[in-house]
Amino acid sequence: MKAWRTWALAGAALGGLLAAGCQPGASRAACDAGKLCYERGNVSDPLTLDPAKSTTIGEQHILGDMFTPLVQYNAASEPVPGIATSWDTSADGLTWTFHLRESKWSDGAPLTSADFLFSLRRLMDPKLASEYAYLLYFIVNAEAINGGKMPLTALGVEAPDPRTLVIHLTHPIPYLLRVATHSTMYPVPKHIIDKYGEKWTDPNRWVSNGAYIIKSWTLGDRIHAVRNPNFYDAKSVCIDEVNFHPGSDAIAVERSVRRGELDSANDIQSNRISYLRQPDQIPDYVHVGTWLGTTFIGFNPAIPAFKDVRVRQALTMAIDRDFITQKLMRGGQKPAYTFVPPGVASFGQPKPPHWAGWSLERRQAEARRLLTEAGYTKDRPLKFELKMRNTNDPQLIYPAVQADWRAVGAKASLFPEESQIAYSDYSARNFQAADIAWIADYNDPMTFLYLMKSTTGPQNYSDYKNPAYDALMDKADHEVDLVKRGQYLVEAEHMAMEDATVSPLYFYVSKNLVSPKLTGWKDSLSDWHLTRYMCFAGHKAAEPFD
Amino acid sequence: MESAVLKGRSLWDDARRRLLRNRAAVTSMVVLALLVVVAVVGPYLAPFPFDQINKNDVWMKPLTGGHLLGSDALGRDLLARLMIGLRVSLAVGVVATFVSLVIGVIWGAAAGYIGGRADEIMMRVVDILYSLPFIFFVILLMVTFGRNFILMFLAIGAVEWLTMARIVRGQTLSLKQREFIEAARAAGLSRRAIVARHIVPNLLGPVVVYVTLTIPGVILAESFLSFLGLGVQEPMTSLGSLISKGAQDMELAPWLLIFPSIVMVVTLMAFNFIGDGLRDAIDPKDR
Repeated sequence: MKAWRTWALAGAALGGLLAAGCQPGASRAACDAGKLCYERGNVSDPLTLDPAKSTTIGEQHILGDMFTPLVQYNAASEPVPGIATSWDTSADGLTWTFHLRESKWSDGAPLTSADFLFSLRRLMDPKLASEYAYLLYFIVNAEAINGGKMPLTALGVEAPDPRTLVIHLTHPIPYLLRVATHSTMYPVPKHIIDKYGEKWTDPNRWVSNGAYIIKSWTLGDRIHAVRNPNFYDAKSVCIDEVNFHPGSDAIAVERSVRRGELDSANDIQSNRISYLRQPDQIPDYVHVGTWLGTTFIGFNPAIPAFKDVRVRQALTMAIDRDFITQKLMRGGQKPAYTFVPPGVASFGQPKPPHWAGWSLERRQAEARRLLTEAGYTKDRPLKFELKMRNTNDPQLIYPAVQADWRAVGAKASLFPEESQIAYSDYSARNFQAADIAWIADYNDPMTFLYLMKSTTGPQNYSDYKNPAYDALMDKADHEVDLVKRGQYLVEAEHMAMEDATVSPLYFYVSKNLVSPKLTGWKDSLSDWHLTRYMCFAGHKAAEPFD
Repeated sequence: MESAVLKGRSLWDDARRRLLRNRAAVTSMVVLALLVVVAVVGPYLAPFPFDQINKNDVWMKPLTGGHLLGSDALGRDLLARLMIGLRVSLAVGVVATFVSLVIGVIWGAAAGYIGGRADEIMMRVVDILYSLPFIFFVILLMVTFGRNFILMFLAIGAVEWLTMARIVRGQTLSLKQREFIEAARAAGLSRRAIVARHIVPNLLGPVVVYVTLTIPGVILAESFLSFLGLGVQEPMTSLGSLISKGAQDMELAPWLLIFPSIVMVVTLMAFNFIGDGLRDAIDPKDR
């Protein structure tokens, strides 16, 4: 081949690359004339659409739009009446009676208290193996049923008539209304499940009771949902269709938002926030605020090295959290030495582990000493694999964690995975060390501290089993005085942190990019944004029928 | 007495002469030699180790803070990382190509020479493997055997040998009809000996050309795998992963994209020019 032909080929290739780079790319998804379509970025595809099995944030955002529980969050994330219009509490706080409104499933079947009763029994059914069942262990007999020791009918929930649901608790739960908004409390359609069994979540026969219903799911592309004409408050809904687009690469998603292909995204690579806020960028898109969440490293105790508290402590001590939060992320995250994030209600003054105030040098020296003591030396270093989510912030910070560990003589290899896959691996204990983020399900320390209770199951990622910890948690559960209860919880947390069962890294912030055209988006501590409260500038809710 | 033995010009001498007259190829060889030296020796001379996190040097511009080419989001020196990345990419290219060379030549020569049923079966195997999407195949290998640096070499090589096998088989088929093979057969040489002594050496020309063109292909394949997160893992790096990281932050730190891209383009171009030069030199019929 002559040289000029090579040049011509090279030129053509380069031109092709440039052309590909400059193309407007996939444009906004098609939307029927006269309809309002919300293209919503979502960090990950769901693993399941069954609210009783759902665990990830990506799933929760989708299911929140599809189901309405007894109590729901309003636009500002305060609990307000959902399917229940009102509720009463007995004087001892142990019996809650919910009064339900008349409402229907999306297929027109009536929704009654029997559906809620069925849903709660199903959640506790050991055969379903819901990871989140422990969240409602405060219902009478729930724990025994979930452990297979009692029949489902023993559950302390009654449906005396179609519009009344009574829940009996083992101890008063000050945060019950907030738990009642959680996906574990979503009603599931008994008449559909009876017919199709566990395949009821197939988008082709989707039935739910929320503002939207799922029409189709193209894996890796989008979940397409349209408004539910049988939703009890359908006339207040403005947006006709919502498409959830999964995207784990926050920068690619950010570019889609800039091009107008997406109206919102729920992740930003932290170190880009200040750049995006510059006046010549997209400052009016950036929504960053406190979010009740903690990123931490879990240690699988099936790995012999991690059975040794010295190893876990050494790895926890060695990490330079200030560098991670202030130099790498710079998004407002706070270094974490304890587990419960600041801002969580009914918690005392947290007690960090004894080494938290030390300088990094001293901590790393101590870590080296602990590792040597545990039998890991330069010639025989500690080696393990850290499984992590492949989203942007973990990819940014874990090389730094890895370097800190290397400095004290521990060799970690990093293994990134799609977040929903990573979490299912974590639940199956298919990991050595794991990068985990935990977001509050309700504003109470319990949502964090329950994770380390021995009865919690798969979400006790490090399989922490400490009778003293469990005893303190039980004591807190039965303490009516909120200050005392907070103190017990602080003590319990301190115990787990000294045991270094997990290694907290930093406290979260919520990071959303929201097009200014989208109205009704309100920032809140729970970072919960139902599509039904949103609209587009210049539009208002229309009657839901074509 | 003057030496009566006149040294003849072999085919290879001719080829070398033609190659050295090709300016693009010669320049490319010099550039490539330099790149190899930099990749091998450079990391030892760099002021910063490639995996050292300099906590005060996040996103330094080129020529600041002692970072000739700047630093990345973790404060790691780009020059050091670039040299390591180049080393990894070249190593992947060479090793994977070598793997494909060994498998491809043996398979192709055997199929071509034995012929008949064996040829049919062996080439259908190649066809079937061809029809598997490359990435799918590599991912399968990675999932089965775990993510491993060495495995990546093998995985890419194990896919790249298919084309090599076809080329070699075609050449073998035509060589098989030549007189010197007839002669060897008449002299009673075993089949294995004929393939090893007569077929394979005569395949050298097209194989060498194809090898130089495979190496850049493999480097690109590795970049693609790294882009998907299946390639080398932090803190190790390669040209491909440097570029994919650089592309993410290009508005904020353009140097992280520009320098690795330049090195990648120069490396690929050099290999391609050398390959073209070799082809022109060894097989003058094509001119």
